[in-house]
Amino acid sequence: MATAVKKLDLEVGELVEVGGRRYEVVPSREGGVTLEPPITPVSELYAERGWKPASEEDFERLTADDLPPDGEG
Amino acid sequence: MSQSGEKKLPPASVEFGSREWVEEVERFEPGAVARTRAESARRAIEAGRRKLRWQRCDPESDSGAHLPGCRKLYLPLDAEGASAAPYGFVFQLVKTSDNTLIWNFIAFGERHPDNPNTRTVYERAHKRLHGRYP
Repeated sequence: MATAVKKLDLEVGELVEVGGRRYEVVPSREGGVTLEPPITPVSELYAERGWKPASEEDFERLTADDLPPDGEG
Repeated sequence: MSQSGEKKLPPASVEFGSREWVEEVERFEPGAVARTRAESARRAIEAGRRKLRWQRCDPESDSGAHLPGCRKLYLPLDAEGASAAPYGFVFQLVKTSDNTLIWNFIAFGERHPDNPNTRTVYERAHKRLHGRYP
């Protein structure tokens, strides 16, 4: 018996729910699109919590003793 | 305030938000190595029983990740050298509504995944900060 293929016309950034789990449409490395569990952006999370990114000055003061960046990210 | 007083601030606490934790760590099945590493590291960080090797993220890196205001930890926390630590946590410095500075957990994942389709922890952090992958 042939399996019916359900075609979805989706764009990057859209959310879909499959089997009760949410996925986000994101670009694939091959140039297409793929589905991944969503990553909620900090802009949304911080707006809900009343937070904001700290200043660069505060960051510099609090990381004075950190190891320096190692070039990988 | 003196110059020395301006140089440093008191340490900021580390916050693991529930939504970030679910999306970053609980995407792995219970008992999975990656999840176990993250859970163990979180317990150690929250217990304050280990000196942490904090490292600044690159504001711009070769991977294209742009992570200003962020620092990272390699996991396992007790790994001898970066090559023995395949995973990473990334945190962003945040000011809360009562003007408290905290390090908010924003990403967990592999630093150098074998699977080319797996996003690195830095790509995940970039996506959380900017809403898209680098």
